[in-house]
Amino acid sequence: MADKNQDWKREEDDEGEQEIDETSFKAQKDAVILAIEVSESMLTAPPPSASKKADRDSPLEAALKCAYHLMEQRIISNPKDMMGILLFGTDKTKFQSDGNGRGGLGYPNCYVFTDLDVPAAEDVKALKSLVEDGEDDDQVLKPSGEVASMSNVLFCANQIFTTKAANFGSRRLFIITDNDDPHSSDKAATSAAAVRAKDLYDLGVTIELFPITRGDSSFDLSKFYDDIVYRDPLVEANLSAFPISKSGDGLTLLNSLISNVNSKQTPKRALFSNVPLEVAPGLQISVKGYNVLHRQTPARTCYIWLDGDRPQIVSGETTRIAEDSTRTVEKQEMKKAYKIGGEYVYFSPEEQKSLRHFGSPVIRIIGFKPRSMLPVWASVKKSSFIFPSEEDYIGSTRVFAALWQKLLKDDKVGIAWCIVRANAQPMLAALIPSKEQSEDDSGTPYLPSGLWIYPLPFADDLREIKPPAEVSQSSDELKTRMRTIVQQLQLPKARYNPTKYPNPALQWHYQILKALALEEEVPEKAEDATEPKYKAISKRAGGYLEEWTEKLEEETGQVSVSKALKREADDDGPDRPAKQRRAASEKPSGSSLSLAQLKLAVESGGIAKMTVALLKDVAGARGLSTSGRKMDLVERIERWAEENA
Amino acid sequence: MAEKESTVFILDLGASMAQTNSGRKESDLDWSMRYVWDKITDIVAANRKTLCVGIVGLRTDETSNKLQEDDGYENISVLQELGQMTMSSLRSLQSSIKPSKTLSGDAISAIVVAVDMIDTFTKKLKWTRKIVLITDGQGELDDDDLGDIAKKMNDSNIQLTVLGVDFDDPEYGYKEDGKTSTKAANETTLKNLVNECQGGIIASIAEAIDELDTPRIKSVKPYKTYDGPLTLGDPETLPAAMNINVERYFKTHLARPLGASTVVVTSEQAGGTQSTHTLDDDGMEGIEFSAVKQARAYKVNDPDAPGGKRDVEFESLAKGYEYGRTAVHISESEHNITKIEAQKAFSIIGFIPWNKYEPFLNMGETCVTYARKHDAKSNLALSSFIWALMELESYAIARIVTKDGKDPLLVLLAPHIDPDFECLYDVPLPFAEDVRSYRFPPLDKVVTVSGQTLTKHRLLPSDELTEAMSDYVDAMDLSTYGIDGEGGSAEYAPIDETYNPAVHRVNHAVKMRAVHTERPIPETPSVLLRFSSPPEDLIEKVQSRIASLVESAEVKKVPPKAKGRRQRETAKPISGLDVDALLGAERKGRVSEANAVPDFKRALASTEEISEIEDAAKQMGTIVRSLVTDSFGDSKYSQALECIGVMREELMNLEEPGLYNSFVRDLKKSLLSGALGGDRRDLWFKIRWSRLGLVEQEQSEASDVTLEEAEEFYKSR
Repeated sequence: MADKNQDWKREEDDEGEQEIDETSFKAQKDAVILAIEVSESMLTAPPPSASKKADRDSPLEAALKCAYHLMEQRIISNPKDMMGILLFGTDKTKFQSDGNGRGGLGYPNCYVFTDLDVPAAEDVKALKSLVEDGEDDDQVLKPSGEVASMSNVLFCANQIFTTKAANFGSRRLFIITDNDDPHSSDKAATSAAAVRAKDLYDLGVTIELFPITRGDSSFDLSKFYDDIVYRDPLVEANLSAFPISKSGDGLTLLNSLISNVNSKQTPKRALFSNVPLEVAPGLQISVKGYNVLHRQTPARTCYIWLDGDRPQIVSGETTRIAEDSTRTVEKQEMKKAYKIGGEYVYFSPEEQKSLRHFGSPVIRIIGFKPRSMLPVWASVKKSSFIFPSEEDYIGSTRVFAALWQKLLKDDKVGIAWCIVRANAQPMLAALIPSKEQSEDDSGTPYLPSGLWIYPLPFADDLREIKPPAEVSQSSDELKTRMRTIVQQLQLPKARYNPTKYPNPALQWHYQILKALALEEEVPEKAEDATEPKYKAISKRAGGYLEEWTEKLEEETGQVSVSKALKREADDDGPDRPAKQRRAASEKPSGSSLSLAQLKLAVESGGIAKMTVALLKDVAGARGLSTSGRKMDLVERIERWAEENA
Repeated sequence: MAEKESTVFILDLGASMAQTNSGRKESDLDWSMRYVWDKITDIVAANRKTLCVGIVGLRTDETSNKLQEDDGYENISVLQELGQMTMSSLRSLQSSIKPSKTLSGDAISAIVVAVDMIDTFTKKLKWTRKIVLITDGQGELDDDDLGDIAKKMNDSNIQLTVLGVDFDDPEYGYKEDGKTSTKAANETTLKNLVNECQGGIIASIAEAIDELDTPRIKSVKPYKTYDGPLTLGDPETLPAAMNINVERYFKTHLARPLGASTVVVTSEQAGGTQSTHTLDDDGMEGIEFSAVKQARAYKVNDPDAPGGKRDVEFESLAKGYEYGRTAVHISESEHNITKIEAQKAFSIIGFIPWNKYEPFLNMGETCVTYARKHDAKSNLALSSFIWALMELESYAIARIVTKDGKDPLLVLLAPHIDPDFECLYDVPLPFAEDVRSYRFPPLDKVVTVSGQTLTKHRLLPSDELTEAMSDYVDAMDLSTYGIDGEGGSAEYAPIDETYNPAVHRVNHAVKMRAVHTERPIPETPSVLLRFSSPPEDLIEKVQSRIASLVESAEVKKVPPKAKGRRQRETAKPISGLDVDALLGAERKGRVSEANAVPDFKRALASTEEISEIEDAAKQMGTIVRSLVTDSFGDSKYSQALECIGVMREELMNLEEPGLYNSFVRDLKKSLLSGALGGDRRDLWFKIRWSRLGLVEQEQSEASDVTLEEAEEFYKSR
């Protein structure tokens, strides 16, 4: 569909606009290095247990499985972002594989298992065979006798980031370890590590720690990692500590680790930064916006060059040419024009700019409404999440919190005029509060507390609805039967939980690609969690559905009779457009004869002259049987006419 | 398809139209034409072959019409025959719209001419027919035969609209004082004529012009997004499954502003740089534009080629997808292999109560679903479903595949009941992959490093603030602040009164520019900005509450300068360890290539004298140059860019933009002259693109570079 395509293209343009952050010279990309410790204790499997659900993974196995899971996931969710795996404490030593640099000599006991890059199929394959098949021909997972120097590990990561992910907007080092005190007796080594950690901080690399504990042991951050890890000074104390991964409470170590790593999976990139939120005239605070919801779609097709040693993705370069002369056009020559009546209406670049300009970015509250005033259909675009920032206005957080509390308490929403980026189209939006609550009493426990910019439609966005002319309301009995069905089929925990519904089209797309890339067998049938659970439905509501259907059939019979009568009453009125009558008569319920006409035909005997088709039509329209010969039909209709006279 | 429509405008161009009346600044003609041009440009913009316009001039100096043989048809000229309106016909029309030197010409005769034009053009076919007469009512009229003319128009199904300059209009509340007797008589005559015509309208043109301010919304034909069964349970295995025939349409659909095309001046005229200049001065008059098309060239990496890349022919390329950075080739015959083969369906998955859903989960546009027309059974069935949802205050969650082969989507179905209309609205829901789990600190408490939970903290509102906010929010309630049609209270800013500013701003300007190429672009119409700030009178009323809110909030703006510094001072690990103190003396002030960014930052942090800053900047500059010189193709450009960016930022923070400016001036020279290991122009483009040029005064007060200089620096080569 041409129309759809266009929309999709425009959507892309809009997104493109969003990505441009004028304040930063850095590439808006993310690079993550997973640093996983290899040691005897990391290799120790949990004590054997008879339980089926018991953990069998050693911490290292769990960490590697988690890495594999993360890699697969990032290929789908962050196809442009980089990932690398660095094992430390290994007997073997290996730095980057491309020979660029000083080889492994500088970083003993550090083994770069996956180079920092956008993962390739080979990387996935190598990791997979290590994780699933336990194939470790190279003895990569053999620990060295002694503890790796942490300053070395950190500097190794520093060098990988500096060369492979230069100028990236987000660079993060995830450390997975069970050792809270690597240099307990070596003060100099601890200091050296602290210095290297500061280097990483200055380089803009964030360190995220994923501690693993077992049994009753604990992980004491103050022994070593408090000197290594930095916190955003602006958010200060207000962040929860690193979640510790452990097995227990029905959760395997792997699941616990995956859930902790997942929560840090996507770099927290602001959609817009420090936009003033004008709560009242003269009261501004600053907020950041986040794209918490974002429709994930399969990457587009690309062109591939097959004539080389291996298939290669082609990069395209666009030149602009004039349509009439096909000469190349320089950027300065291009003008903006609007097409009207087959010609262009031209605006100078400054004018064009001013047409799009509605003032500098602001979210300005113009008043408040009860939440119930938002019609359920008032939706056009996804919402963005906003959260206060102290960077531009000190005190933003407390004002924001006060507003949030008030809106939550009284079930109100703010109405705001929003221009979230320079030259963005203005919109009216509702500011809706969300609350992160304990699992049970919130509809959306997976979402954070804060305010949402919920875009409201303009009058221009409303489409006219041409509803059917007549409504046939069902009886109370029928409604009641349907109510029972609805009550039977509530979703688990009575809420929609998106995490339970992976996008089937997206998953299938990447499952096939992965199979093709790794030269594995292509699966046959897609898993689709969005399909209704038919068995459960028929088990829980099958009987009630039967009752409902029965009643429906019964009422349908009645309605078509009463409808026919009603139509006749209408037909007595003057000009009913002929066309509608014809359309109606296509259905068995329609007929072109009014009651008055019919009576006349019966009395005059004219009914006998009607064709069989017409008689059937008349009979059908009145809910009578249309079977039998002509005489049967005539008789049936005559009887009906008498009864309904 | 939209209805076919033909309209004839009769424009009074008599000498009296040149007068200026009722305290207006424009002549009556110019004023009236505001309405006409607006209507005509709307028609031009619609660009439809079946939207036809004819123009008849009344009281023109010349006479040119088909009936001119007869008496009484003098001074009537057909300026444009009925047909599609284009920009060129609009321009030629413009030149003929000026007041004539005559006062004579019969408006009734002009109507007869217009009727004749429409009859000839539309024949007996299905058209909407309209005549719009615009006059100041100063010309002599012959009021015989009015009845016949009205009958003729009714027979031909023509609507007559008369818009008069300063005509009396009791409904609109206008009465002209000191009206001439001719005008008074003419007004009566025209009124009588209109009253005899079906659907006739007579009004003061002032009213019509007023209405131009309200944006008109483009109506769009309903678009059916789904037509088929809505099911609950599997009809194939469960005979009693719910199976309702429904139709689904858009309820909301994002309207977009008119898109601008990129164009160039056609080649014949682009003789030299001169022509682009004249273009800016003269607007578009007489200059032809040509659309710009894109051509693409394709490259692959090739270590042996100069610059590491080489061109490949488009014909030699195959299609495929990326899996990570691996190219997965998919042959033509298998191009659908990655598509899930879903069957068309609209099926209920389950139900949830209203209070367990938050509207901010909505992913986009709403659709409306109702039972298929003339299907009594489906009507009844859907009605019971809608009522059940309503009575249980529940939503349904459903999976929809709009056509065979389309991707499945999950939607939330909400019941809606009006006295004569029942339907389901649906909004798209997010999938698991669409929700990003970002963590944010709680807003109602503060957890300290030591794990303590605080409820009193500078990040949390005080009791006074909470109270002031509550009072303010209550006072600013908009639910009854608006005014309804009868002057009673209503919701303020309801959706059907809000117009998309971007859409109408562009429409307004384009229409204006199409007619008046010489005028500057108009101001944004105020109706578009109506909801850009809180209602003023309301603000006035709640002023005291705002004051106490501001007072208890104690918000302070951070001066721009302090921003960079604040971050630097607090850079300590959680333990608060002073890392710099651990550093050996040998590393102080030295910037190494391997660890350039951290070394540079640390060197600057420890500087005490300007000379030391200079020294650090110099070392960094040397590193940048060596990175560029050693770069194979663009392999080290990103590293160089990072160093340049850090240098710019840090030196700005230290208020030493001069050091950076002299560095970047020199760097540009070297890059363009090829002094750093060959052709490095592409790096210069990247620097430009990243806006890493000169620091100008706006960015740093200490700079002596003006904004113009900085811009020029980017442009010149």
